[in-house]
Amino acid sequence: MPTLEANKKDLETLIGKKFKSRAELEEALMYAKAELDGLEGDELKIDVKDTNRPDLWSIEGIAREIKGRIGKEKGIPVYKVGKSKVKAKIEKGLENIRPKAAYAVAKNIMVTDELIRQMVQLQEKICQSFGGKREQVAIGIFDFDKIKGNVRYYAADPEFEFVPLGYRVKMNLAEILEEHPKGIEYGKLLKKFKKYPLLVDEEEGVLSMPPIINSEESGKITEKTRNLFIDITGFDQEKINVALRIVCCALADRGAKIESVELQYPNGKKLVTPNFKNKKFKIRKEYAGELSGLDKTDKQFETLLKQARYNVKNNGVNFEIEYPSYRQDILHEVDVIEDIIISEGFNSIEPATVSVSTIGNELCEVKDNDVLRDCCIGIGLQEVLTFTLTSREKQERKMCTEEQNFVEIENPVSENWSVYRKSILPELLEFLGMNKHAVYPQRIFEIGKTVHFNKKSDTGVTEKNKLCLVLASREANFTHAKSALQAVCNARKWKFSLTEKDDPRFEKGRCAEISIGKRKGIVGEINKKVLSNFGIEMPVAAVEIEL
Amino acid sequence: MNFERTAKALSEIERKTLEVLADEKEKGILDISKESELDKDSVRRAVGWLAEKKLIELKENKAENLVLSPKGKEAFEKGLPEQRMMKALHKLGSKAGFGKVMKEACLEKTEFNAALGKNKRKAFVFIIKEKEPMIELTEVGLEFLEKTPEEKIVLDSIENKQVSTETAEEKETEIITELIERGLAEKKESTERLARIKEDGKKAVSLLEKSGGKRAYNIHDPAPTIFIGKKQPYIQFLQQIRRKLTELGFKEMETNLIELEFYNFDVLFQPQNHPARSWTDTYQLKGLKKGNLPDKKIVKLIKEAHEFGGKTGSKGWGYDWSAGIASRLMPAAHGTAASARQLVKGVEVPGKYFAVARCYRPDVIDATHLSEFNQMEGFIVDKSFNFRHLLGMLKQFAVEIAGAEDVKFYPDYYPFTEPSVQLSAKHPQLGWIEFGGAGIFRPEMTEQLGIEGKCLAWGLGIDRLAMFKLGIKDIRHLFSSSLNWLREEPLVNME
Repeated sequence: MPTLEANKKDLETLIGKKFKSRAELEEALMYAKAELDGLEGDELKIDVKDTNRPDLWSIEGIAREIKGRIGKEKGIPVYKVGKSKVKAKIEKGLENIRPKAAYAVAKNIMVTDELIRQMVQLQEKICQSFGGKREQVAIGIFDFDKIKGNVRYYAADPEFEFVPLGYRVKMNLAEILEEHPKGIEYGKLLKKFKKYPLLVDEEEGVLSMPPIINSEESGKITEKTRNLFIDITGFDQEKINVALRIVCCALADRGAKIESVELQYPNGKKLVTPNFKNKKFKIRKEYAGELSGLDKTDKQFETLLKQARYNVKNNGVNFEIEYPSYRQDILHEVDVIEDIIISEGFNSIEPATVSVSTIGNELCEVKDNDVLRDCCIGIGLQEVLTFTLTSREKQERKMCTEEQNFVEIENPVSENWSVYRKSILPELLEFLGMNKHAVYPQRIFEIGKTVHFNKKSDTGVTEKNKLCLVLASREANFTHAKSALQAVCNARKWKFSLTEKDDPRFEKGRCAEISIGKRKGIVGEINKKVLSNFGIEMPVAAVEIEL
Repeated sequence: MNFERTAKALSEIERKTLEVLADEKEKGILDISKESELDKDSVRRAVGWLAEKKLIELKENKAENLVLSPKGKEAFEKGLPEQRMMKALHKLGSKAGFGKVMKEACLEKTEFNAALGKNKRKAFVFIIKEKEPMIELTEVGLEFLEKTPEEKIVLDSIENKQVSTETAEEKETEIITELIERGLAEKKESTERLARIKEDGKKAVSLLEKSGGKRAYNIHDPAPTIFIGKKQPYIQFLQQIRRKLTELGFKEMETNLIELEFYNFDVLFQPQNHPARSWTDTYQLKGLKKGNLPDKKIVKLIKEAHEFGGKTGSKGWGYDWSAGIASRLMPAAHGTAASARQLVKGVEVPGKYFAVARCYRPDVIDATHLSEFNQMEGFIVDKSFNFRHLLGMLKQFAVEIAGAEDVKFYPDYYPFTEPSVQLSAKHPQLGWIEFGGAGIFRPEMTEQLGIEGKCLAWGLGIDRLAMFKLGIKDIRHLFSSSLNWLREEPLVNME
């Protein structure tokens, strides 16, 4: 979830309203699906919960949304787009590298520190989440007055040189990918190609090497900058258009005059960006009432829609709506209906009692396990809970067993949680090892899942429930463990049989395989080597059975 | 009064000891042990306790004791070497070679030589020179064989503490000196504790005689600890919520530790290029890559929902959906995967479902994060349901499960619900806590799968509640590895 840093006064200026209390500000932020995470002096930290609404990932976008909800503006915000003289030519050769672009010019802007901070933040949020770490969307913002004439986007040779932003010397494109911090960070998006994308002006002055780095020449924005040029590149025209609209609207909200740029693609297709043409959608009136549960007149619904920045026409059966072009999240009527409900305010809606009556039930397996837990507690054992993720070290090496096949995690956070357990026993032995200071006898058990490969299952594994109990005391021996096994089996009317078994985890001659019908298990005295691997200084007898 | 209680509370060993001392004689531990038939350790303890209670007085007496050396002990058990030699000779037919006698009598060379010298001096044996030297038992020797030599008598007396350097008579002293010289006995200095009964002790004895000897208990004495078998508190907490939900009419759904991406994401309408599906937010598996997708018809429905919204009127996400990605396996990342399975399996309308699911996220483990945890989720479904019922259901959970006094709802976002809500509950002790997330399942999931009704889905933040109810600050403690904590944690009704 994107977290924004902002200035309270800046937000208030953008909305045109002062917030007298924290509560009032929090209330307003709810309209933008945002939450106040921190407030220190005028510094705000805002969490935006909607990961599918990049238009809300800027302070300008949040202000825009709130303005509608509190009645400062109604319906879709209107953005006028002038025409700039700039033309952009996209050349052949970029098809596989980074084929699509969109541009705009923003004029007469007062660049302040706060604006720079907000622009950098917006760029960052859009490129990282919406743009998939610059792969699908990369944004460049330039000093328009440093650009001479038209621009040209083409695939350049790696030897081409320019001064990247923040540097004083020329570097060639290949060097930038190898040595520049941004080149190192995003280089993998380009390295597989023989040529790299480059945006230049009419006099071959470099604007940027998308999606890596702008030039020092025109990519530097200062308080003296008055006019901006925006470049967005990617693979999907609609996606980068949305990103461009979001950036342009944010600048326009701060007083910039937006001007369009005419693009020509190699196939001759022409395109003018940005394009703020509203999008259309239909909502069944009946469905809006049915889903929201709101008992409202058409007029009231229309007001709620306008507050959520939609334009509405009522055609009798449907609300014919228009929504702003910077939104790309509306797939179904439900997406609009949620906005209606947010306009109404979640906390002003009376909750309805659920009076549907059904019969509840726990899983059979849960009930069975619960009966077994009672048996174990009757024997006097303490129940414990361990993790299903564990390590080979515990499951295999410390248990002195041969190498086994485990379901393994590809990207573990730590080796300690890198494989799924096949047996609970090692986990309980580790538990004993950590509790040497506690009074003996220590008698514990766990019922839980273990994971085993099974090609026949749709998930490739069988998740077997197992019961494991361990008894640690000076006297603990095979007989004690067998007694416990017997007690559990008698309580459940299970018939079990034992077969002598050699198992490296257990003392020789003090171990048996358990059969309860088809289910298997093991009982015995834990091998001294195993005990010392877990740092246990007391004899331990154990039972583990499949359930 | 106090004295009477002390007397009646005397333990068995104290009582017996006191009775032995009742004749007012000064007695050592050994004497008391013999007379009372208590072992020496018990007497030592009893004497200590009685002295503390001022019923007897103790005096330390330095004494010189006679004890047997290991060799002396051997002689005590098997006889003196000279006797053993004669017995061996007798057994070997009164005449035998040196080696044979030594072997038969189990004597070492030096012992053998000393014994031979002694027996020769007393004329019990002769040495005859034949081919090799032979020993022969004499008449005198044979006669003596039946008797116990004086040395042995003294030796026995030493072992049985019947003689000491002080009590020995002249003759005995001579023999003792000889035994010491032969290394069979030695003098040892020791401190002996002597006990003598005091006035209070005598009173106690007479009191006990009158009372018939039944011991009075001190009810304040500590009793041994018993550790009872107990359920794990966090499991017990989950179990109680489970029960609560079944009382509210919920059916429990099956859960998987390892799940197909299909159920974890695709059925839940999360597009395959969704950032949450990327590698950093979820665990991935090694060596276990693909599972089997369900029925082709179902797969087709989900594919169509993603690509163009299927039959639901949705635009869909507009990309080419891949069955390959959907059939990948992963550790279940959220409990909603269980709901997804249930939706595919089919649901009863009206219906209420819940699951307690073990989920995994690659978070570094600390006081507030686990990479393996439990989620409690579910949904209710009916044709009549709307957003207000969602709020009603959440309010009911907050009150019934968290014991909340007030609730507040916030707009929220989940890829699979629209509208989505976050529930905050005001707990009497905790204040406002984020207690759950909820929403109405998107039509791209439910309508598309032919479910006739709206599914109000919910997930509860039960870990926070569990931590509060169990009074713990560190989330790792839910899976506590402290046996002491588990033993001491009281059994309570956690509702």
